Amino acid sequence: MLRRTTVAAAALLAAGALLLSACTGNTSPAPSTSAAADPDASVAVRLVSEPSNLDIRETAGAALDQILIDNVYQGLVSRTPDQEIVDTLASSHDVSADGLTYTFTLREGVTFHDGQELTPADVVWSLQQVKDNATYRDSARLERVSSITASGQDIVLTLSEPDSSLLWNLTGRAGLVLKEGDTVDRKTAANGTGPYALTAWKKGDSITLERNDAYWGDAPQVAEIVLDFIPDTQAALSGALAGELDVVTGFDANLTDQIEANGAFAVVLGKSTDKGTLAMNSTSGPLADKRVRQAIRQAIDHDAIVTALGAGQTQYGPIPELDPGYEDLSDTAPFDPEAAKKLLADAGAEGTTITLTIPAFYGTTVSQILVSNLNDVGITLKVDQVEFPTWLNDVYMNKDYELSFVLHTEARDFENWANPDYYFAYDNPEVQKLYEQSLSETDPDASADLLAQAARLVAEDQAADWLYNGASVVAVSSNVTGFPSVNVNERLNLADVAKS
Amino acid sequence: MTRPGWFRRLWALSTGRFGIIVVAAVGLTAVVAMFWTPFDPQHVDVDERWLPPSWPHVLGTDGSGRDILSLLMAGAKTTVWVALGAGLVATALGLVLAALGALTTRWVRESVAVLVDILIAFPVLLIAMMISSVWGGSLWVVIVSVGIGFGVNIARVTRPELRRVLHSDFVLAGRAAGLTPFQNLWRHLLPGVAPVFIVQLSWGMAVAVLAEAGLSYLGFGAPVTEPSWGLLLKDLQAYISVHPLTVVWPGLAITVTVLGLNLLGDGLREATDPTLSRRTAAARIHQPEVIA
Amino acid sequence: MTRYALTRLALLLLGLFVASALIFLTLRVLPGDVAQLIAGVNSTPEQVEAIREGLGLNQPLPVQYLTWIGGVLRGDLGTSLLTGTPVVDELVQKGEVTIPLGLLSMTVALVIALPLGVLSAMRRGHRDGTALSVGAQAVAAVPVVWAGMMLVLVFAVWLGILPAQGFPRSGWDDPAAALRALLLPALTIGVVEGAMLLRFVRSATLQATGEDFVRTAAAKGLTRNQALIRHGLPTVGLSIITVLGLQVAGIIVGAVVIEQLFSLPGIGRMLVTDVGNRDLPMVQGELLVLTGFVLIVGFIVDLVHRVLDPRQREAE
Repeated sequence: MLRRTTVAAAALLAAGALLLSACTGNTSPAPSTSAAADPDASVAVRLVSEPSNLDIRETAGAALDQILIDNVYQGLVSRTPDQEIVDTLASSHDVSADGLTYTFTLREGVTFHDGQELTPADVVWSLQQVKDNATYRDSARLERVSSITASGQDIVLTLSEPDSSLLWNLTGRAGLVLKEGDTVDRKTAANGTGPYALTAWKKGDSITLERNDAYWGDAPQVAEIVLDFIPDTQAALSGALAGELDVVTGFDANLTDQIEANGAFAVVLGKSTDKGTLAMNSTSGPLADKRVRQAIRQAIDHDAIVTALGAGQTQYGPIPELDPGYEDLSDTAPFDPEAAKKLLADAGAEGTTITLTIPAFYGTTVSQILVSNLNDVGITLKVDQVEFPTWLNDVYMNKDYELSFVLHTEARDFENWANPDYYFAYDNPEVQKLYEQSLSETDPDASADLLAQAARLVAEDQAADWLYNGASVVAVSSNVTGFPSVNVNERLNLADVAKS
Repeated sequence: MTRPGWFRRLWALSTGRFGIIVVAAVGLTAVVAMFWTPFDPQHVDVDERWLPPSWPHVLGTDGSGRDILSLLMAGAKTTVWVALGAGLVATALGLVLAALGALTTRWVRESVAVLVDILIAFPVLLIAMMISSVWGGSLWVVIVSVGIGFGVNIARVTRPELRRVLHSDFVLAGRAAGLTPFQNLWRHLLPGVAPVFIVQLSWGMAVAVLAEAGLSYLGFGAPVTEPSWGLLLKDLQAYISVHPLTVVWPGLAITVTVLGLNLLGDGLREATDPTLSRRTAAARIHQPEVIA
Repeated sequence: MTRYALTRLALLLLGLFVASALIFLTLRVLPGDVAQLIAGVNSTPEQVEAIREGLGLNQPLPVQYLTWIGGVLRGDLGTSLLTGTPVVDELVQKGEVTIPLGLLSMTVALVIALPLGVLSAMRRGHRDGTALSVGAQAVAAVPVVWAGMMLVLVFAVWLGILPAQGFPRSGWDDPAAALRALLLPALTIGVVEGAMLLRFVRSATLQATGEDFVRTAAAKGLTRNQALIRHGLPTVGLSIITVLGLQVAGIIVGAVVIEQLFSLPGIGRMLVTDVGNRDLPMVQGELLVLTGFVLIVGFIVDLVHRVLDPRQREAE
């Protein structure tokens, strides 16, 4: 059972000391004034990258997840910042003891933004569409679901085998509920059930979300949220200081002092599942040799990268701290340039030239550090900066690369390592077996343990390097509350935002 | 033009002198940088970030701890490389087009003239964008774009000169004496058009330097691994509010180099033939467009 | 005159044709499959083929070109590969920012170049004249990007009186805010262009002082400066018009970079994004509009030049 994951377009975070949030991954939002929330407020939020279109079904990129999931589109269930699963469009759910039957009771009185009522038929249709269309994102996540039916207000999913990740997957793109037979053009508009309606998209500039007054739950406390696309850090900082922005996501932690200088903003750090993944194409060339891959891993000074970014923590395996199955795998490839040189000599690969393909919006810090570190052990690194669509074409689709760096923001995406067709080009049957077992395992702790074993194998195979586990760095204006702080690059639930 | 004469005249002019000094300085820095820089420009040292000008980092360090002076020196290499490359392409293209426009049958001449006039309108940056959208950005894009953009300029300016010299007495005598067109070209035409040509080349190289800065800033020029002044501007701009001084260095380097090349061109124009200005007013006024 | 106009018009049309052909050809040489890019990650070969058919990519090149040109003449520049919105709509929306920016920049450039250029010519040989000339040279050598950064530093970061980036979401509904947003960008482009233009004005003015009729005027008893102003300036005016035509290209180019620096949602920034996204129809449309604009301005300038300059007509 294989899944796909989305890849993210998150900005790199920069300098400062290693700052981590509290263990639960939740930090308190910036202290607000005691003034009451203004119900007509408009909140301006900066996002780093703009989606190419709004097609939540077929277009990749975490920008869409940030904007649309939980705000415009919703699923039967959703996840909290604490990574807990809560009922959303379902008023309750039940899982049978053998893990093969999931029953969701659909909430009543829910309407889409166009006024039409939400019916169980819409839910069944939405899920079936995802399952049937291989081109839809996350389609493979419903593979173990053998039938989707409705009886009255209940929607019943019958599985062929247990799937410990199904509920989690339903909080993502696989579980989103769209209206059956909707005529709206998904590429330029969105008709969902969420607390906000997408009312305007000024291409190259911003997307406007307006409060859905007919929302089934607590209507948002603000009248509208404007998502401004500002890729440039300096421009975002200036915009914030000038009062044009209320929140800056993807903020550069190195600029914390700057933005906090006049007291109007506070930088909030949170954990995230962002994994700066240096994929290594082991199918050919010098990277086919495990010693070379290990040498590369050991040549890279991960602590330096985290210091340069100013936030986040080191990462040595495929599973980040927030996800089940996390283990500190630094013992698989500790920082040791001398050992790296020796490995390269053993493999007869001193003085090789290797090319790194990296999307252009990541800035140059990571590239510079990699060039320098690899140079120190005798590898010449060439850096090929490409636009994201080109990366998608060359690396993601055609696997035409040697080293590739991309920030994978998706939570619980270990299935990529169990998928030999994924661009990682990693094929280890033992890992695949362990992964399948973890899905079938109904006890969550046992399941996590199996994942941890699989992750260790991946790290020991030197399948890739993980440069860092990013932090969510958000600068929030002192009069804004309720802004999410965890895993912001992947999910941006704006339902609780208030501005006074 | 007599060889020792024009150089001395050039040196005597303040514009010429400044131009020569700047160009020589940049060239020398580039050559030195091929063998030695105070630090390895690519070397990252996370503990030494954003150091102010101090010892041993004379101009300080950037956000990755790299030495700015070394980056500037390595950047000079890129600048020289781009300027020379663009100059070469422009020369080749310019001469070919000018020759076609002056030496061949009337039909070809007219078509080439029209073609050149049309191509002149293509701003270099747009040429660069066009090429980038197909092949992605790189220094080659900069070189080829400026080469094309400027080659056309050179052709436009050189062609009337070529035609003038073509009909001059020396050349007629040469033809009468039985020289082949090629020998004629080599012995009489080229020296005749060289003054105008060299002036244009100088200005063209200034455009190349500015083009590299602008295109690298947009991300269509130098790659991360190739230290360049334009790329430095881009990197340092992200922290301009925190470390404003650092942006000054690459900007200054670019400005001084461009100024030097422009003044060199001006000086060359005056030094090689002061009477030139009266006969080819178009050449004198016509200047390359700014590239950003 | 009519003959000249017609010839020039023919040249303009030829120019537009050549430009469009060049743009079209260059972008069609794309290595890699555009259809595959749109179809996306999990597509089947049939889906890719369907998209190729839909885009007309299987037609022979001349047919594709004619289809495109046919569309252009009808006002249809194609639609974006990524969003499906028509290119024309995007251009109109983004033009709201870029056109005023261009006009403002040109105004700034003229305001700087005309008086200072003439002044620098008249004061030639004196210290202030030389200072102006050298100063202009120095400013013209500054990369526009850097100039922008410096101005942002001074006016937005340190003084805080002008916005450092962005354009009001409400667009021109609030003209004051919109103008404020364009002020620094226009100043940046205008000052650098102005410095370049200043040198031309100076050259042209100097050239005019060498003209016979100015010398005659001087012989009649006018001072050098009076002769210059009464007889030379019209000649200078002509040269300025020519140069203005050339400057349009420079301003467009400056706008591309400056819109990036100031995060202005204009045509330049859109071009950069679309080139990065390999959104060919958009890039094609944008490039065509921009180069077409430069060519048309050149045409108008030539005509105006001819109308105003009696000597040209005689020389023909």
